[in-house]
Amino acid sequence: MPSASLVFQSVVLGVLLGGLYALLAAGLTLYFGVMRVVMIAHSAFLILAAYLAWYAHRETGIDPLLTLFVTVPLFFAAGVAMQRLLLTRLRPATLTMMSVLLTFSVALVIEGLLGYVFSGTQRRIRLGYSSSSIEFFGARVAVVKLIAFGMAALALLGLYVLMKHSRFGQALRATIQHREAAQLLGIDTDRIAGYGFGLGLATAAVGGTALSLDTTIYPSLHWHWIGPLMAIIVVGGLGSVPGAAIAAMTLGMLQSLLQLELSTTWAQTVFYVALFVTLAVRPQGFFGGRLAQRF
Amino acid sequence: MRRDSDTLSSVPFPRRGLLHLGVLLAAVAVAVSFPSMAPSPYEITVGIAILNYAVLSTSWNFVGGFTGYISLGHGAFAGLGAYGTGLLVVEAELPPFVALFVAGALVAVLAVPVGYAALRVRGASFVIVSIALVLVLLLVFQSWASFTGGSRGLVVPRPFPGMLRAEHHRTFYFLFLALLATALLVWWAIDRSRFGMGLKAIREDEDKAQSLGTPTYTYKLVVFVVSAAFTALAGGLYALWFGDLDPVFQFSILSGSYMVLMALLGGVRHLYGPLLGAVAVGYALEYAKVEYGDTPLHLVVAGLLLGVVVTFMPDGVIPAVGALLGRFRDSGGTSIREVTAAELRGRREQSEGTEVRDGERSGRSA
Amino acid sequence: MSEAEGAPEVVPDHEPEPSLATTGLTKAFGGVTALDSATVTFHHGKVNALIGPNGSGKTTFFNCVTGMIRPDAGRVAYRGRDLTGRPSHRIARAGIGRSFQLCRVFPRMTVLDNLLAAVRPRSLAGQLARAGGREETERARGWLARMGIEHLERAEARQLSWGQQKLLELAGVLMSEPELILLDEPAGGVNPALIDRICDLVRELNAEGRTFLIVEHNMDMVMSLSDHVVVFDCGRPIAQGPPSLIQSDERVLGAYLGV
Repeated sequence: MPSASLVFQSVVLGVLLGGLYALLAAGLTLYFGVMRVVMIAHSAFLILAAYLAWYAHRETGIDPLLTLFVTVPLFFAAGVAMQRLLLTRLRPATLTMMSVLLTFSVALVIEGLLGYVFSGTQRRIRLGYSSSSIEFFGARVAVVKLIAFGMAALALLGLYVLMKHSRFGQALRATIQHREAAQLLGIDTDRIAGYGFGLGLATAAVGGTALSLDTTIYPSLHWHWIGPLMAIIVVGGLGSVPGAAIAAMTLGMLQSLLQLELSTTWAQTVFYVALFVTLAVRPQGFFGGRLAQRF
Repeated sequence: MRRDSDTLSSVPFPRRGLLHLGVLLAAVAVAVSFPSMAPSPYEITVGIAILNYAVLSTSWNFVGGFTGYISLGHGAFAGLGAYGTGLLVVEAELPPFVALFVAGALVAVLAVPVGYAALRVRGASFVIVSIALVLVLLLVFQSWASFTGGSRGLVVPRPFPGMLRAEHHRTFYFLFLALLATALLVWWAIDRSRFGMGLKAIREDEDKAQSLGTPTYTYKLVVFVVSAAFTALAGGLYALWFGDLDPVFQFSILSGSYMVLMALLGGVRHLYGPLLGAVAVGYALEYAKVEYGDTPLHLVVAGLLLGVVVTFMPDGVIPAVGALLGRFRDSGGTSIREVTAAELRGRREQSEGTEVRDGERSGRSA
Repeated sequence: MSEAEGAPEVVPDHEPEPSLATTGLTKAFGGVTALDSATVTFHHGKVNALIGPNGSGKTTFFNCVTGMIRPDAGRVAYRGRDLTGRPSHRIARAGIGRSFQLCRVFPRMTVLDNLLAAVRPRSLAGQLARAGGREETERARGWLARMGIEHLERAEARQLSWGQQKLLELAGVLMSEPELILLDEPAGGVNPALIDRICDLVRELNAEGRTFLIVEHNMDMVMSLSDHVVVFDCGRPIAQGPPSLIQSDERVLGAYLGV
């Protein structure tokens, strides 16, 4: 039986991990909301951003966080381009299935190119503050994890404010909720959908930079992320950002707690168990999921 | 003025049948005589690899082709079939080919709850489950090393101990060929059956099919199980042939995506589509392995190819080429579409026609 | 405006045999109540019509009784048999066929296959038997001929005009041998000549023993075609009776005013 302080430590780590999951799942939810697309390449872009941060740090020694100024706009543009140039080409009747294949193929290309350019070697950023940690009511928490969580929380907050309090956010929400009605209101839903896609990919840029701070990265790492992320959006209810956030926190914490008793790999299976149970018992998800039955 | 509106039937039916039969017999003759023509056992192993791909993508096409549900995780069933067969031979000491069929049956049983979770909600959740299945099985088979051998691998004893290597390959070549023939036969039988008609109706419009009385969920589940069973048999046969299993290769998202690529490339609506796709992609893969070794560029090429097929030829290369040939053959004449359009105009003049045109119809797909 | 030939003027001195009947059928989407405890009975062997202003819950009613969506409360029965919450293929097999508001056919199947896909084999052997056997092909051709689109049997459905697709959809529904046929706006987007044609078909098929329930905005069509009219407003019936009575009903006029 692990000690109480160890459990507490796991809870704290679970929350920190859950924050990152929540941000990335929010991105997946955005794609699904605007286009009904399950974006398999999301985590490949995540790893790409992590590699860019690592590469910039290795070449110039700058802090990986600074790469955000480049990667966030870059990924936003890539997302808009991907929606406008690729996804809109697909037939509406088969969009859900074919878009999965298309984004999957993008993921393969990214993984392959990362492997080709940077080789399959595992990479890690060493920073001055990499090994420092702080005490938090008896739990030892690495500073980099706190920074990563802070970035995720800030990005999520920014996303929330943008969605709730800007004209663009209103248009985006209208597009997500009822595309035809939004069009009648004079909203250019195609353009909004493109921006929504860009925004989703921008979360991958933030997430990837956060990830690079304290994780060893390699080209095929994205498969370890896409599974849990897809599980989160299903458990949370497809299309529901708050649902995804709650599911991310819950599952992140569960994973962290299970690691006390089980190996890391076994602990990761909690996502898949949750996914199968959700689909078998409550396919519309546990926290929202208004869209689940409509796609 | 009016011509038969179907260009395919411009060749009289019996002659078309004979043509088909001729091509089929020639293909069978080439496939059967290949091992005796092959200059070395290596060519036979390439043949086996391609046949394995062909069985896998044809098996995948039971779900993908008939119902239009794209599974990216069929590698999981192949892996389960392989490990099931291997473990039944090693742990339960079953005879190899009994183990193969028991493993196939077990995977079919397991496919029921998986299909239940995957198919209850339409659309995206199916793909999500299919990917999740591969990823979770990879985790389990790597972690449960005491049972599966983990990353050290699982060695499956050869089913014919006294046999020489060349003879071993030759035997398995024919076993794979027999499995492929069986899979194709079953696909063909379903394709022409009422069951198959129901499945194709699901692909076209699932709600509509159900409103006409097709038990869509049961149909999807049945064909999913059939597909999983054939995939598992291919995996199991591979295990007996290759003799060494590693979770990373058995439960690989990449092998599942190769199945999709092959089937899509050849054309999912056609019996031989996945087979032709497998020959093309399988040969390219084996060639690349020899020429360039294992480089990450395989992924790039596979990804680009998949992307191009999905974006520009979602019906596959065969239909795309067929359409091109059709246009070529028809040059100067009228295409199907134009004939019908002309007909429509004629009918409209008899006040039979329409007020709403295509543009207004497009709102239908929700 | 002629009454259906051959059908004698029914004097409702006895209770007509019930066909589809709902009690307290309720369905809400989010905060919007689409069906509000709708209790309504349609008559077997007749042409029934369901009318009402836009958004009065007609299509939701169709979707609930055909199992496309699950009602929140209430019951659906067909000729005394409870069908509440059944999946739509079971309801189809109970003898209820339907068309869709925006006509739906299998776009990339041939016209003939569209009909063959509506065959409902009852046994396992029947499911595995070859599709398009002689008997069912003959039957399919018979329906296509009746719709006047038999010459298109090899064309893909998506190549047909809108009007032809409407006829094809009806032929597909008939192929599945329903006793009760629900038509959702059969005259929607169709030219007057074709409307007459559809009206004639409905009369003929009704004379052959099929019951109809039609949702329609074209009042001329409703009044000339139907024996029994139910008027919906705000998710519940506000009036029902023969068309002559409905036309003069004040509540109906009220519901339609300003529409």
